[in-house]
Amino acid sequence: MTNYKGLFAALSLTVASTGAVAQDYPAKDVTMIVPWSAGGGTDTIARSLVGEAESCFGENINVVNKTGAVGAIGMGGTSTARSDGYTVGLITFNLSTYGLLGQADLSYRDFDLIQLINQSPGAITVAADSEFQTLGDLMTYTQENPGVVTVGHAGTGGAWHLSAATLAKEYGASFNYVPFDGSANVRTALLGNHVAVATTGIDEMKQLMEAGEVRILAVNALERADAFPDVPTVSEAGYPLAAPVYDWRGLAMPKGIDEAVKAKIVSGFKACFESESFQTLAKEKGLPLVYKDPAEFETFLADLETSLEAAISDLGIGK
Amino acid sequence: MEALNIVHGMATVLSDPTTIIFIFLGVFAGVFVGALPGLTATTGCALLLPFTFGHAPLQGILMLVGVFCGGIYGGSLSAILLRTPGTPAAAATMIDGFPMSERGEAGRAIGLATVASFVGGIVGAFVMTLMAPKLAAIGLAFGPPEFFALTLFGLAMIVAVSADSLMLGILAAAIGMWITTIGFDPIAATSRYTFGLRDLLGGVELIPILVGLFGVTQVFMRSEKLLTFPKSAKNETYLPTWSDLVLTKWTAVKSALIGVFVGSVPGAGCDIAAFAAYSELKRSEGPDSDLGQGNPKGIVAPEAANNAATSGALIPMLSLGVPGDAVTAVLLGALTIHGFEPGPVFFTTNLDLIYALFAGVIIAQIALLIVGLSLTGLFAKLIRIDQRVMIPVIMFLCMIGSYSVRYSVFDMFVALLFGCIGFLFEKARIPLSPMLLGVVLGTLSEQNLRRSLIMSHGDLLIFVQRPVSLLLICGAVLAIGLMLMRARAKAQS
Repeated sequence: MTNYKGLFAALSLTVASTGAVAQDYPAKDVTMIVPWSAGGGTDTIARSLVGEAESCFGENINVVNKTGAVGAIGMGGTSTARSDGYTVGLITFNLSTYGLLGQADLSYRDFDLIQLINQSPGAITVAADSEFQTLGDLMTYTQENPGVVTVGHAGTGGAWHLSAATLAKEYGASFNYVPFDGSANVRTALLGNHVAVATTGIDEMKQLMEAGEVRILAVNALERADAFPDVPTVSEAGYPLAAPVYDWRGLAMPKGIDEAVKAKIVSGFKACFESESFQTLAKEKGLPLVYKDPAEFETFLADLETSLEAAISDLGIGK
Repeated sequence: MEALNIVHGMATVLSDPTTIIFIFLGVFAGVFVGALPGLTATTGCALLLPFTFGHAPLQGILMLVGVFCGGIYGGSLSAILLRTPGTPAAAATMIDGFPMSERGEAGRAIGLATVASFVGGIVGAFVMTLMAPKLAAIGLAFGPPEFFALTLFGLAMIVAVSADSLMLGILAAAIGMWITTIGFDPIAATSRYTFGLRDLLGGVELIPILVGLFGVTQVFMRSEKLLTFPKSAKNETYLPTWSDLVLTKWTAVKSALIGVFVGSVPGAGCDIAAFAAYSELKRSEGPDSDLGQGNPKGIVAPEAANNAATSGALIPMLSLGVPGDAVTAVLLGALTIHGFEPGPVFFTTNLDLIYALFAGVIIAQIALLIVGLSLTGLFAKLIRIDQRVMIPVIMFLCMIGSYSVRYSVFDMFVALLFGCIGFLFEKARIPLSPMLLGVVLGTLSEQNLRRSLIMSHGDLLIFVQRPVSLLLICGAVLAIGLMLMRARAKAQS
C-alpha cells in the first residue's frame, strides 16, 4: 500500500511540476538556432523577429548561428536539442529537399512545427540594358536558340533554380543554368554581364530595380507581389504555371515538448511576428510575410514535397 | 568634392566623443580576438553584433569596423610570436615574422607589423574614399573565368615562392585543393567524400584546418624540444627603427595598393590580399633575397596589404550590397538591421553616413596604431613565458578556436588531425603555406572553373578570350616558367 501511495505522490508531483513548468514558461532566455551565417538574409529576418522578444515573448531570445552542410547542421541541431522548450530553430526551404537530393536524412517530420514566416516567390530578372524586354521575348528567343541563354541561380536544386526550371520545362525552353553560391553572387554576375538572366527571390532584386540597374520580367507566382505592383506574374506574361516553387522560412522546435509549453511558444512567436517593428522591416525589404499555424504549415510542407519530388526527378538532378 | 565630403564626415565623427570611444573599444576587442588562434574578426563581429543594436547606427557600425581592422592586425601578433596565425589573413606574415621573432627580435617584428598595418589601413581608407564607385565597377568585371584565372595565378605564385622543390609545392597545393572537394557540391548538388557524415556535408571548415596546420603542429614541434629554454629578446625597443621604415616604405605603399584592389574584388578577402602582396614582393626582390628568414619587408608586405584590404572589402559591400568577404557579410547584416540597405542607391541616399563611415575607418587606423604600439611590449613578453606553460595554453586556445566557429566538437578533431598532418609534413619538408592557400582558394577555383565551362559549353578558350583572365593566366605561366628556368640553371651550375 505504501508503495502505491509513493507512486501516487510521485505521479502527482510530476503532474504538478509540468504544470508549473508550463505556467512559468518562459523562465529564462530562449535560444534560437539559425542554420545560416550571421549577417545573411535569413539571419537578418531571425534577428529582427526576436529583436523585441522580451515584450512579445516574455524573455530574450538569443540567436545562435550553427552553419554548414547547406543548413543541415543547424536544422539537425534543432531537431535533436533538449525538448524543454528553451531551444527552437529557424528552418528554411532546404529542409524540403535534403531527402530528395540525397543530402541528409532530415525532413519536417523530425520537428514539431511552430509557424511559417514568409513565402517568397522567384523572379526572372535581366540587366537594364538587356535585349529582352518581356518574358515573352526571353522565352521565344530561348525556344528558338536552345541552351544559349545563361541563367544564374543560387545553387543547384535550390528554390530559385527549381523556380526557373519548372517554368522552362513547362514551355520547352532550354536555358544554360550557371550555379552560383548564393543570390548575392548571382546579382553581381548579372550586373557584370556574366550571365544574361538571373533567377532569385523577388525581394532580393528590390534595390537594384529601384536603382534602375535591372528589369524584372516576371514574378514566378500566382499573384503579383505586394512590394512590386508593376511586375507581372508569369501567367499575365503569357506563361501560366499551376504550381510555382516558392521559397519559405519558418520556425520549428524539437519533438516531445510539453503541450502547454508548445502552445505558449506558438502564441509567443505569433505575437513577435505580428509586432509592428517586424512587419515594418519586412515591408521595407519587400519580404512577403505569410503566417501559417502548425497544422497549416505541415500541410503546406507535405504538398510542397510532393510537387518538388516531381520537379527534381524531371530535371534529373539529385540522387 | 570627395575631399569636402570627407572633411564633413570627419567632423561628424569627431564631434561625438562616444563614437571615438566605440572605435577604440572595437579595435581593442578586435586585436584581442584576432590574436587568439582560430578566433577571427568574423567571430568578433558576430559576437558584438547584438551589442550594437542599442546604439546609434554610426557608432555600432564603426565599432564593428574597428573589430575588423583590429582583428586582421591582431592575427599577425600570434603569427609572429607563436607561429600560429590568429586569422587566415596573417598566414603570410608568419613566413618572415616568426623567424625574426625567433632571432630574439619579436619587438621589432611586431613594431613593423603595427606600422605597416597603419600605413596599409590609411592608404586603403583613402583609396576607398576617392575611388569607391570606380573600384566597384572594376570588381564587377570579375566573372567566373577571371576568378578562376586569379586563383590559378595565386596558386602558381605561392608554389613558386614558398617551396624549395616545385614538386613538393605543387603536391602541397594539390592536397589543399583536394580537401576543399569534400562536402556538398553546390554545382552538381551531390555530396563528395562525406562517407555519410553530416558534419562533413558542408565541407571541412577553414579555421580548424588553419589552427591544426599551424597551431597544433606548433604544439607538437615545441613539445619535441621542450627543454630548450626560450631566447631572451635582445632588442627591446618596440618602436620600429627609422632605418627599417625607410627600407620598407615603398613595399608598404605598393602592398597597400595591391591589398585595397584585391580586397575590393568580391569573394577575394584579406587572406588572398596578403598572399598576393607577398608573392609580388618575392617576385620583385628576385631569387637571391633572404625572404622567409625574417626579412622586414616580408612582414611589411602582407601586413600593409591585409589591412588595406579591409577598406577594399568595404567597397563592394557599400556600393553593390555584395560583401567582399565573411566579415563584411556580417557588417552588411548589421547595416540592414539598423535599417540601411547598402547597394547602388546607398551612395546617393546616405551620403552623410557613407562619408562619416569613411572618416571612421581612417580614425580606426589611428586607433590601431595607438592600441598596437602600446600593447606591443606586453605581447612581446609572451614569447618569454616558459614553454611548459605556453604549450598547454596554445593547445587550449587552438581547441577553443576550432570549436567556436560553428560550436562543433567535430571541428576540434579536425584541428587535431591537421595538427598530425602538419607535423608529418614538417618532418617530410613539405611546405605548409601552399597547402593552406590550396584550401583557401580551392573552392573558389574549382567552382569558377566549372561555372566558366558551363557558360562556354565546355570550351576552354573562354579563359584566353577575356583580357583580364588572359593576363592572369600569362602571369601564372610566367611564374612557373621562371621557377623551372631557375631550377635548371641551378642544376647546371
